[in-house]
Amino acid sequence: MPYLEIHDLTVSYEKNQPTLERFSLDVEQGELVSLLGPSGCGKTTTLRSIAGFIRPDAGQIVINGRDYTFLPPNQRDIGLVFQSYALFPHLTVFHNVAFGLRMRRIPKEEVHSRVANALKMVGLEAFADRRPAQLSGGQQQRVALARATVIEPQVLLLDEPLSNLDARLRVDMRQEIRRAQQQLGITTLYVTHDQVEAMSISDRVVVMNQGDIEQVGTPESIFATPETAFVADFMGFDNHFSAAVDSVHDNQLTVNWGGAPIQLPWRSKFGSPQAGARAEIFFRADNASLAAGSEASGLAGRVILHTFHGNERRYLVETEVGEFSVMQDSAGERFEPGATVTLQPNTQKWIAIIE
Amino acid sequence: MVSRWMYISLVILYGFLLGPFIIIFMASFGANATMAFPPQGFTLDWFANVFETSQFIDSFWISLQLALLSTIVSLIMGMPVAYALVRFRFAGSGIVETVFSAPILVPGLVIGFAMLNFFVLLGDMHVMTGLFIGHTAILFPYSVRVISASLRNLDPYVEDAAVSLGANRLRGFMLVVLPNMQAGIAAAFVLGFITSFNNVPVSLFLSGPGVTTLPVSMLSYLEYYFDPTIAALSTLLVIFTVVLVQAAERVLGLSQFV
Repeated sequence: MPYLEIHDLTVSYEKNQPTLERFSLDVEQGELVSLLGPSGCGKTTTLRSIAGFIRPDAGQIVINGRDYTFLPPNQRDIGLVFQSYALFPHLTVFHNVAFGLRMRRIPKEEVHSRVANALKMVGLEAFADRRPAQLSGGQQQRVALARATVIEPQVLLLDEPLSNLDARLRVDMRQEIRRAQQQLGITTLYVTHDQVEAMSISDRVVVMNQGDIEQVGTPESIFATPETAFVADFMGFDNHFSAAVDSVHDNQLTVNWGGAPIQLPWRSKFGSPQAGARAEIFFRADNASLAAGSEASGLAGRVILHTFHGNERRYLVETEVGEFSVMQDSAGERFEPGATVTLQPNTQKWIAIIE
Repeated sequence: MVSRWMYISLVILYGFLLGPFIIIFMASFGANATMAFPPQGFTLDWFANVFETSQFIDSFWISLQLALLSTIVSLIMGMPVAYALVRFRFAGSGIVETVFSAPILVPGLVIGFAMLNFFVLLGDMHVMTGLFIGHTAILFPYSVRVISASLRNLDPYVEDAAVSLGANRLRGFMLVVLPNMQAGIAAAFVLGFITSFNNVPVSLFLSGPGVTTLPVSMLSYLEYYFDPTIAALSTLLVIFTVVLVQAAERVLGLSQFV
């Protein structure tokens, strides 16, 4: 039986405008599941409903067999980490972390040892007497994590916890959160709009759009095989074009790409597509390569922009089918803007989505 | 050259700010029977005269009571209003904010005159009651504004954080919000107290026979006498205000805020 069950959760802030429409999700004990989506997709609403700050219009939330749906938020056993950290500015780090234990009337000695352990876990033993304003953003985030986990909650909820940190610190904190979560074996929901963050930290990712689930799966499966155009776009497939399906053979279909047939895998929520159906084709910039001149087999084009990214160069190539972004190893040949090139697809990593 | 001009304008600015006080301070020790500068001789008679004039002593106590009472009541009323205005956006919250700023924007004489007429309409009201209501009304917007400012600096999610950790709403407010409003409350207290204690226009209209605030007594004394007693009293008031602000800073931790 799943540890956290959400059944048909419906929340609307305004009449007839549901922010969340019959949202259902099961999370296993100790699992870390990310809710990924653009702002306004309902991910934070889901989190705040589980925390008890939003009263759902319909649906049910069950944690460890107990119905949480209408339990007041202060009686739920849930750890919450906020985007803004929401540390108590007038209390020291120690008292911030101890707050939840004090509310639970835990004896003083136990409070001391548990807070000490929590601070040790996040590497802030030496900062117990500081005020939040005397800490860096990353340290404040660690305090917030310690404060939410020291109460040993049944579920840990993190709401965009890293979005106020700079890029490098985000990567470090991501690993720290994941390590702490696995060490404590705590069931966790993690809200983010950053697909890289969601993939790197999660056991499973839930991609959300406008209050609905687009796709649920392991980071690997969502990365490689998006099932909807929204997911493909959101998961960083740089290139997109539409084409009519010529023929279908089992897992592969054939479309016409600038005069030549190409074969690629397909996905559909509505069964096998018919010839003539419209396919939305997506591919990443690194799943195509460039050859000099127009003699090689592939699609002829012209380089219109070149940008350098360290290990790779990214080219924008204009073809008769459209403009495509292509990533090449920077050790290889460099093409200047205006150069004639041939675009060679690695179609087995492309995806055709029928909607 | 720029720095020299800046230096000169700074001296001029300080001259105009501090000059009058220095003159009053020195004149209060002068032996002349009328205000004169530079003073001739040295005497503490004018200070003695302040304490011997019962009008000043009586009105000082009235002003003190009035300032304390109206400041405290305006704080108690201002806190929930400030909280509501900062935390919630509701229909008409903009209008509420504007109405609450009106006493800051409308000239004091107009407020005093309007209140006098209003209280006369209401019927027989004790002079002290009228003064108390009038002062509370003019202090209220200050306390709302200053406390709002301190609340705006507080992350609204700290309350949710306290609740998620097991505190109920009231407890969360008491343990997390109130301590962080402390500096704002202290600032509003000092500002309110000084505003009430110094107020002339509203008190002028609402004072009555035998019940007069200190600034109004000083004004009416000046109409008849021009001896340095007022200078001595002014010197005492400057010292009183400085001591009060210092004490408030010590006790209430004003320095965190200003």
